[in-house]
Amino acid sequence: MAPRTITPFGPQHPVLPEPIQLKLTLEDEKVVDVMPAIGYGHRGIEKACELNEYPKNIYLCERICGICSCIHGITYCEVVESLWPMDIPPRAKYLRTIFSEMSRTHSHLLWLGLLADAFGFESMFMQYWRIREKVLDLLELTAGHRVTQSVSIIGGVRRDIDADMKKHCIEVLKDVRKEVEALSNVLVNDYTVKARTIGKGVLSYDQAIALGCCGPHLRASGVKEDCRMQGYLAYGDLSFEPVVASGGDSYSRAAVRIGETIQAIDLQLEALGKMPEGEIAAKVKGNPPANEATMRVEQPRGEVFYYAKGNGTRNLERLRVRTPTYANIPSLLVMLPGCEMADVPIIVLSIDPCISCTER
Amino acid sequence: MIDKLKEISKDQLLAEVKKYADSKAKFVTGSCNDLGDRLEVTYFFNASPGMDMSALRFTVGKGEEVPSMTGIYLTAVLIENEMKELFGLKVKDLAIDFGGHMMLAQDSPVLPMLKSEDQKAAAQKGGN
Amino acid sequence: MGIIATSRLKSPWIMHFDNSSCNGCDIEVLACLTPLYDIERFGIVNMGNPKHTDVLVVTGPVNRRTARVLKNLYDQIADPKMVIAVGTCSISGGVFHNCYNVLGGVDKVIPVDVYIPGCAARPEAIIDGVVMALQKLAKLQGVAL
Repeated sequence: MAPRTITPFGPQHPVLPEPIQLKLTLEDEKVVDVMPAIGYGHRGIEKACELNEYPKNIYLCERICGICSCIHGITYCEVVESLWPMDIPPRAKYLRTIFSEMSRTHSHLLWLGLLADAFGFESMFMQYWRIREKVLDLLELTAGHRVTQSVSIIGGVRRDIDADMKKHCIEVLKDVRKEVEALSNVLVNDYTVKARTIGKGVLSYDQAIALGCCGPHLRASGVKEDCRMQGYLAYGDLSFEPVVASGGDSYSRAAVRIGETIQAIDLQLEALGKMPEGEIAAKVKGNPPANEATMRVEQPRGEVFYYAKGNGTRNLERLRVRTPTYANIPSLLVMLPGCEMADVPIIVLSIDPCISCTER
Repeated sequence: MIDKLKEISKDQLLAEVKKYADSKAKFVTGSCNDLGDRLEVTYFFNASPGMDMSALRFTVGKGEEVPSMTGIYLTAVLIENEMKELFGLKVKDLAIDFGGHMMLAQDSPVLPMLKSEDQKAAAQKGGN
Repeated sequence: MGIIATSRLKSPWIMHFDNSSCNGCDIEVLACLTPLYDIERFGIVNMGNPKHTDVLVVTGPVNRRTARVLKNLYDQIADPKMVIAVGTCSISGGVFHNCYNVLGGVDKVIPVDVYIPGCAARPEAIIDGVVMALQKLAKLQGVAL
């Protein structure tokens, strides 16, 4: 047996924009054991949510994670609304759907760029991020900011999409769809990309369920499970079908995310076409009653779970947020042992880790 | 209201969790809440594949020991460590024990998620 | 002074460190490096090694665990060095001011030269901030930018 060494991977590592540490036990170049050390991004948001008033928490929840911020805000509003429970106007539901899918498009493009960067394909990284800027421009035009939109409020949304914006969005989205398809063709068919990703970090169907994975990571192992199947917001009215792959490796995860990027654009186009006229926010009076509620929403990285407990005052009694990466990190304990040190960055990246989400 | 919530005692926990594991359900997460002199723990499961969720709930006194379900669901290791660290829930037989420093640093506040006196007073006073 | 001081201004190397930010500013810092904003036209290159670095770009509020890491990184950077705090929470703690594990702004731990407000700070503002840091560095070294 070769001698064993323990190598720290992170917290400062070029492939990870965020701080997380993996302690890898190596036998020569082969990983035999892994232990994640987290906590570099822990702020204590759940506690601060109990101290703030209801409307202020929207801004705090959005900053649990800056990449999926829009959906965090929407989920928080949804869970607080279901404490009453109250209904929001149909147009607000459609607008929330459109903003969610827009942020999914930008997040997946971001990840595809980072994946290309992880195996040294820098020009593709730049191309994906160039396309992503167009989506960010749309978000800025419609929701008001590139990254943290704070567009959702309790009872509805803050900004409407008027006819001019709609026309512009449809034009740009069609253009983005063409570009993503052309570029992703390269990613899916390239020999080097295949060699670096096929068979790396394999997770079987049963393992994925036993480890409680979620999101594209779970669907790449063949499990047809997506929160949007519940039909929350406007998804019930749209033609939505989860994107599933069966390989369970890093290549399948990339394929699922490419499929979802295209699908997200299609959903936006469909929602823009079907959006009903009307109010964009309902009037909200008083504090939510003493009640409990849960909400599950599909984020770019997977399922986010919010549990809220109100006590009738202007503060929450308890807010619990389970973010997708929190569920996906344990799968690294299974995927990494047996791989080579040089493949660790790709496998870690393939779960699309979001550390500030995980640690809140 | 949480749908399909089942109230159990902590001694029934492992048997109930085993049932979920046998039916190939997915562990979603857990949540802990400070009720004053007791802690309330809720675990959520999802019947995979699908979106059907159910929950188990029990309460324990502060300082009481709770069995760990990491022997059945390894993925619960993060949430159980977190509850141990932030609420002081005494989980025994953890598969991986981070020793109270998974999230918190050496000089962080101790058991920060427990309710402070100010918070309790504000909650009793009711709405404004 | 001569060529070293001039070169430092014409091609400053930056290192990005994420304290415990929400990622919003981090992806904007990364966006600066990509084709639309292309910070590389100022000769700015992103580095992973503190010993290669002239400018430290810090995002996010300092929390109790990263305070030590940040101090450590700062001490490793060779003089003259510049520190840029990107985003409101790296200035004062911002939206995270009442979170129990957050100490506050970056200047609680290390001296900061340029503050870039915004939540998240826009790429234009980040580029502007880097140029301001260079002006300060030029003054410090007594050379023209």
